[in-house]
Amino acid sequence: MTESPYWNPRHETMSRDDLEALQVRKLRNLVGWADAQVPYQSKRLHDAGVTAESIKSLDDLRRIPFMTREEWMQGQIDQPPYGPILAAPQESAIRYHLTSGTTGKTPIRVLDSMKDWEWIAEMWCYGFWGFGVRPVDSVFFAFSYGTFVGFWGAHYACEKLGCLVLPGGNMTTEARINQILDMRATVVCSTPTYALRMAQEAQALGIDLANGPVKRLILSGEPAGSIPATKKLIEEQWGAKAGDTAGMTELGTIMMFECSHQPGGAHIIEDHYIEEVIDPETGDPVAYGEPGERVVTSFGRGFIPVMRYRTRDLVLKVPGSTCGCGRTFDIYDGGIRGRVDDMKLVRGTNVYPRAVEAIIREYEAIDEFQIHLYTAEGIRDEIEVLIEIPDRSVKEDELCSELSKTLAEAHEGLRFHVRTVELESLPRFELKAKRVLDEREVVGGSGERKQA
Amino acid sequence: MKNAIGDELSPAQAELVGCYDKLASLLGDRSGELAPFEQRNALKALAALWQVANGLDMDRGQIYHLGA
Repeated sequence: MTESPYWNPRHETMSRDDLEALQVRKLRNLVGWADAQVPYQSKRLHDAGVTAESIKSLDDLRRIPFMTREEWMQGQIDQPPYGPILAAPQESAIRYHLTSGTTGKTPIRVLDSMKDWEWIAEMWCYGFWGFGVRPVDSVFFAFSYGTFVGFWGAHYACEKLGCLVLPGGNMTTEARINQILDMRATVVCSTPTYALRMAQEAQALGIDLANGPVKRLILSGEPAGSIPATKKLIEEQWGAKAGDTAGMTELGTIMMFECSHQPGGAHIIEDHYIEEVIDPETGDPVAYGEPGERVVTSFGRGFIPVMRYRTRDLVLKVPGSTCGCGRTFDIYDGGIRGRVDDMKLVRGTNVYPRAVEAIIREYEAIDEFQIHLYTAEGIRDEIEVLIEIPDRSVKEDELCSELSKTLAEAHEGLRFHVRTVELESLPRFELKAKRVLDEREVVGGSGERKQA
Repeated sequence: MKNAIGDELSPAQAELVGCYDKLASLLGDRSGELAPFEQRNALKALAALWQVANGLDMDRGQIYHLGA
């Protein structure tokens, strides 16, 4: 039998009519499961007049109310630590992960079971296999293996594929590069920014990565994997093909991947998700080729049923037929293009300015502040908080250090530089405050980066 | 054996689904008879085979009650 270029050949190439029928059936099952197992979801569904039996077509999806991140977080505050959204007893869970929240206090916490983790890896398998990764490959993970879900699922996917997995946690950049070379890694997984960082470090060490063993890079965690200029630079520096993926902690895994044909975007894994694109103001669906907010319904994670979750990600969907790979799965052209809210993505971590402000406001000594994002050393996103402290008796160094630590704890360990500036040097606002200054640049290009 | 959308599975696919069904049945009915190494390894196998059944559109439902 000839090796298939698809992980699940039947699903990935089925007609759109058959795919829609599959989604309707899975949606019916999901609604039935959530209704039976999660009283909170059951009430939401019943209030909207939705039952499993009433799901006849994808149009019925729109009768299910949207779910927002704010609602999810409020649920956790009301019923800590997980909120009223679990569909199975906590004892069935084998893993815990979290992502930073919008308030600065409460992260979004998620649990998954053994079966869910197999599914999480399964989604990554679609991406790895679709980008050409095979059992003969040796895959290096430039990843810290913490509570941030990141590449955890990808690691297990590669084990499932039969690849040799090279875990690169807790290592310096130099050590990682050396291991990639010593172990003849053929695939490297990292954020786009870190792929560039490693290339920069290799150059400083006199190492020619472009003629090294790496043939493919699997990128995730930042939109830059689909920004053409950045991607081109990464591919040139590594002498390898770079494939974009995108996922989120709320789903536990990826929902889209770039195939080996590199169509300038990523295929949505539509046999496991329904991805709607809506006008963020009206909530109405937008047509192919029009930008809008992605709204996700996931069939995979049974522990936490996710229905019509508003991601605030800005996307532009085009038909799968625009790619020559043969998949019928639609594509998000340009990957995740940005945000419809004010969230900033910094080295893979979600940062909500309002969450940062909530933390800063707990320090009465701080009179005014500014959140400054910039590109360091030509490649790396950095975030700093500039503060004004009028009271000269305050120990500024101690306050800066404590604030930096508190901000990091609320953001998966992300490093925040905190420094004091001269009094009255920061802008003041009478109406709508703009305390975020985003001066990051598109790496490999010029000018302002897309909102990220 | 047909899946939930009426497609006939190949013999190899049907056999895989049969393995899943047999394992699910065993873990549902006779889990108490199994030693820890038997039970936990069987659960891990079930979690993996669930992906096969799911990918073949067999609609086997959730398995949290079995411990997976």
